Amino acid sequence: MTSTNSATDTVTRTKRSSHRSKLHRGERRGALILLTPYLLLLAVAAVIPILYALYTALQKSPTLVNPKSGFGGFDSFLTVIRDYRFFGTFTNIFSVLLVWLPLMMVTILVLSLLVDASPGRFGRGMRFVYFLPGALAGIANFVLWVYLLNPSISPLGGLWRALGMNNLKEVVTDGHMPTILTAMLLFQGLGTWIIIAIGGLNGIPEEILEAASLDGANAWQLAWRVKLPMIRPWIGYAALMNLAYGFQLFLEPYLLRQVSSGSIDAQWAPNQLGYSFAFDNRDFPGAAAMSIILLVITMAIGLVIVFRSGLFGDEDKK
Amino acid sequence: MVVQEEVLTADQNSWSAGRVARIVFMLVIALMFAIPIIGFIAMAFRNQDGVAAGSGGFLGLGGVSWSNAVDSWNELMKFGPGGGGVFARWMMNSIVVAVSSSALAIVAALPAGYALAQLRFRARKGLLMATLLAMVMPNTVLVIPIFLEVNAAGAVGELWPVAILMGFFPFGVYLSYIHFMTTMPSEIVEAARIDGLGEIAIFVRIALPISKQAVALVAFFSFVASWTNFFLPLALLTSSQDNKLISIGIQELIGASPLFNATVAAGLDVKLYMPQLALATFLSMIPLLIMFLGAQRYLVRGQTMGSVKG
Repeated sequence: MTSTNSATDTVTRTKRSSHRSKLHRGERRGALILLTPYLLLLAVAAVIPILYALYTALQKSPTLVNPKSGFGGFDSFLTVIRDYRFFGTFTNIFSVLLVWLPLMMVTILVLSLLVDASPGRFGRGMRFVYFLPGALAGIANFVLWVYLLNPSISPLGGLWRALGMNNLKEVVTDGHMPTILTAMLLFQGLGTWIIIAIGGLNGIPEEILEAASLDGANAWQLAWRVKLPMIRPWIGYAALMNLAYGFQLFLEPYLLRQVSSGSIDAQWAPNQLGYSFAFDNRDFPGAAAMSIILLVITMAIGLVIVFRSGLFGDEDKK
Repeated sequence: MVVQEEVLTADQNSWSAGRVARIVFMLVIALMFAIPIIGFIAMAFRNQDGVAAGSGGFLGLGGVSWSNAVDSWNELMKFGPGGGGVFARWMMNSIVVAVSSSALAIVAALPAGYALAQLRFRARKGLLMATLLAMVMPNTVLVIPIFLEVNAAGAVGELWPVAILMGFFPFGVYLSYIHFMTTMPSEIVEAARIDGLGEIAIFVRIALPISKQAVALVAFFSFVASWTNFFLPLALLTSSQDNKLISIGIQELIGASPLFNATVAAGLDVKLYMPQLALATFLSMIPLLIMFLGAQRYLVRGQTMGSVKG
């Protein structure tokens, strides 16, 4: 493609543009050299694993009777989908998303609008406190929650006992998972998103806010009628990012199972099911099929984000 | 004290009911955020007897002492085969991996971001899209495929593949891309070309010297991402105890605690209760705090960058 195009370029265009196309060639070569380290990493950490997973998923799972692998078509996908836990893991994710996502979005918006409406040191102080839990990421947040959820040591212990739960095993149950995960994810995720939302609110031009004030808008109307609509595209972006995040849950359910000595399902989330195919069953085709299913889902969400959220930035102006 | 200031500024206007409600509401939420963290940090400075007895008053703050933390530290350092010390080893592993993967992320992201922002080439749009897609997709989705790849290469249990894989940091490329889009007018590049500079020379001599901000942001975010990554080291490093990173190391500490697994813990002479676990977690956060303090200056400006313009 490239060579045919540049060939026609040279034939049909004037001398000046042929000079430009030579410059262009220099640009292409420069770009290739500058991009090489990134392209290598992209290949090793994304392209090759995805292709290899596709290949693996199309193999037959080796069994004790027949340890030889070979082309198996879509068998591994069928194995995964027919697994008795498959739909359950997605139902579990939806049960959390249903509670967590709306609450997350509302809380981010309410708190960032409040911080935005608070001038001076008070607003900055609050912003810092709201950000604090966000600094405890991953396993640190988890250990913190083990402390909070354990009735015998938690500052919330009275609450747990009042609800009739006297040890960690009674707090961490399948029925409580949506609530527990919602609390964990809110605590960990809010801070960063609030900071980002405040950044978005700061970007609203001063004139618009002044004009609204002159028209007699009070603080509530300003937030509800002016600021909120102005950051609407951003709200969609944040919601979709968090939706994609929900599908990949692993750490929290995996470790909750460990600390509750098995009072919740071992394969609670889709990622855990994939992990179990790989590490418990040594069924690599099954594990690969599971990860491709998840990949397709999150990639679909990702494509919506990329094309609808203006991430490309000033691309069109270029 | 913070409230005091708000009161002073508020005086100029008036103490409307709405203002009082807003401040009270914000303070209540702030307490809900702060109390668990204070209690958890206090936990690292309490001892197990006090925790078990529920003494120490509010959040156990009365039972806090430095010597408790020292005792917990000594207990923690006894953990591991042959006299212990494996916790320190995990911390070192994490530092080595996070530093090398951040270095790799910088080396890959800056030239790539520059090329995407300033140079014209055919696959530019496609590559940019792939980068954005990789950036918004949760990274755990690729862990199993990556495991299959590393397993096929026979490198499971080694640290170097983890460092390389964590060096792939599309968000860093996006940050650099936005950086060079916004701070570097394309006229400068054109002028340099007319002066006879090659594309690589333009990047090295003109773009790099104005990239401190981008370097700091990429370094910070990639360091945090690799430090807190759990699923990838779990899949690649669980088989080798010496080569664990701190994130999955803490998981092993939890697994060895008599709080959650009495049978395993009974066989160990190291007793890890909540104070020891909280201390280990607290210590594991310190490198992140240091990175945060170092990058803070750049973060304030950086956080509003790019993805957030609605």
